[in-house]
Amino acid sequence: MKKVLWLLVSAFALVTCFSTVTLAQTARFGEAIPLTGPYAAMAEDMKRGSMLALEEINAAGGVLGKPAEVLITDSQLKADVTIRRFKDMMDQGYKFIGGSLSGGISLVGNEFACKNKLLYMAFCHTSIPVGKEFCGYGFTSAVIPYQPASALANYAFKNFGKKWMSLTADYRWGHDNLAAWLVNSEKYGGEFLGNIYHPLGTRDFSAFIPQILAKKPDFLVVTNYGTDQASAIKQLAELGLTKKMKIVISKTHIITIKETGAAFDENVYGSSTFYWHLQDKYPEAKTFVKTFWDKYGSPPSQDGECAYTATKVVFSAMNKAGVVDDVDKVIETIVSNKWPSPKGPTEWRPCDHARLQSICILQGKGAKAKDWDVATLVAEVPYTETLESCENNKKDIPYGQVKLPGK
Amino acid sequence: MLFGFPPEIYLMQIVFGLALGAIYVLLASGLSIIFGLLDVINFAHGTFYMLGAYAVYVAVSLTGNFWIGLVCAVLIVALFGALTEWTLLKRLYKEEPFYPLLLTFGMAVAIPDAMKFIFGLIGKVVEYPSGLVGAIMAGPILLPKYRLFIIVLTAFVMILLWLFLKKSDLGMIIRAATRDSLMVQVLGVNVSRIWTVGFSIGVGLAALGGAVAAPMVSAVPDMGVEMTVECFVVVVIGGLGSLGGAILGGLIIGQVVSFVSLFAGDYSNVAIFFAMAVILLIRPRGLFGEAGRL
Repeated sequence: MKKVLWLLVSAFALVTCFSTVTLAQTARFGEAIPLTGPYAAMAEDMKRGSMLALEEINAAGGVLGKPAEVLITDSQLKADVTIRRFKDMMDQGYKFIGGSLSGGISLVGNEFACKNKLLYMAFCHTSIPVGKEFCGYGFTSAVIPYQPASALANYAFKNFGKKWMSLTADYRWGHDNLAAWLVNSEKYGGEFLGNIYHPLGTRDFSAFIPQILAKKPDFLVVTNYGTDQASAIKQLAELGLTKKMKIVISKTHIITIKETGAAFDENVYGSSTFYWHLQDKYPEAKTFVKTFWDKYGSPPSQDGECAYTATKVVFSAMNKAGVVDDVDKVIETIVSNKWPSPKGPTEWRPCDHARLQSICILQGKGAKAKDWDVATLVAEVPYTETLESCENNKKDIPYGQVKLPGK
Repeated sequence: MLFGFPPEIYLMQIVFGLALGAIYVLLASGLSIIFGLLDVINFAHGTFYMLGAYAVYVAVSLTGNFWIGLVCAVLIVALFGALTEWTLLKRLYKEEPFYPLLLTFGMAVAIPDAMKFIFGLIGKVVEYPSGLVGAIMAGPILLPKYRLFIIVLTAFVMILLWLFLKKSDLGMIIRAATRDSLMVQVLGVNVSRIWTVGFSIGVGLAALGGAVAAPMVSAVPDMGVEMTVECFVVVVIGGLGSLGGAILGGLIIGQVVSFVSLFAGDYSNVAIFFAMAVILLIRPRGLFGEAGRL
């Protein structure tokens, strides 16, 4: 009996050791994205981008000769659920984590990564590279929230007028965008008429509209996302606001534009880090758009591109560094190289891990939109015009110094 | 100027509050009918609201006409509600009280997931009916045509509902069944069918709310989740099982959200719970409570 017991224990120990060794040699990337909730459609695009990247990596031989793995979990757009997912992943030996569609939640993920010395790659607009948030373990494959605001502000104040007001989702990402708009307003001689905060998940924006009409801005800055944005634009159009002023959306999405329909007309503008029309400019985008569209039946969005590039870069860096579990080595490899991406070679700045990429300004097509041809790319603003210096980001100036109205 | 806004803004907020409140009235009155008749707390009420939005999307896509789509949507979802009650809920009335509650909770989770599978995650666009786009200017006051339509439609439906419940034989039986279903049964009425009719009326009202909301918000699978919670707040404020309470509660909440949005938009969602707390402190059974049942 004792012999049998010893045999069983030894066998179990052997299997466990072997598994651990095997797992340790497998390149793994764990993601927590909001597959349920108001951003579910966007998160689905992220999942597609990530899985496409994984497919391409494994088709090219995997990482260090073995197939790489991606684990995708649902964060439910909640910080506590995100942390629970990351903790589970960490307990299973994952050292590379990513995801998020919320700037606020990405900071929580970043904090977790910093504390546990994991590499965290945010797929969304985030202030990870800024001020005290940056610890050296966090990255973003998108941009910092002030960047689209800077890109749009330049365009808006030049083309639409100086009087503006804002409708802002009341959470960290919204606040960061508003701060950037206020700074740029001062820079371009804008006249700020006021801001309206709304809770995340607002469906009926009608109650906010009378005060917008009363103020008569040249343009209204709308900073929200997903179904909130679709509802807001539909209702602004219903009440004729899109005819009385321009609507400028800090961050939009092709899915939202499609959901909004004819309401997203020529008077509505928004920013995006990727739009499939870029295929006319970048050969890499043409390949990416075609592959994604053929596989999934729709073009990739900015979220799809961010997840795709992030997943590809993390695994490629592991390959280049020759390791699958040395976080510091992989980080060093990422920041000291340029990487192929749908927008041409891309890189991450060593001082703050900000991705150096351009921002597209889109104009709605309204009733002229057909299938996924929902917007016109009116400008592509290079990062040199939007990204602050390392020093400024480290000190969180100028945007961190802004006193937000009502806060 | 009053607190920084001209007087016409306050009038517009009242109109917007009425329109918002009208949708709450439709949902809350449906929920009240179901609770009043069946003693079932329908956690899937927001789900039927969502189904109404999708039903109008499908119906308008097929017929090209918003009005036909609206009627079809309500009828289709009401029939679905009747089927649900007949095949699922009815088996649980004799069980523990929380069994029907659990069933509706399960439906509230399963049906949106099914809709994601059938329709995908991208919201479905329902355009405003032509003729109701834009607004009428009454002096300096902007009166959105579609919002006015919602207010008028809700008032019409509530009057129709009141006439049905007070003046028709079936309405009288439904009211009697809410008081004492056993007595109604003893008098030879098939109470089981009354419950099905009552449930489908309640669900139909929720579907109507979703169908009229669809052009404003687009149809998405999870659109009913928060609506269920808000609807419960309205029903609790009005008094469980009270139709009059549901109407008044809906109108009150509509105005609360409207005016809180004017001064502190970031608290507009929280404000309804605060209003509920204040009203319950003053009147724990709600505005009309038990005394004001159907």
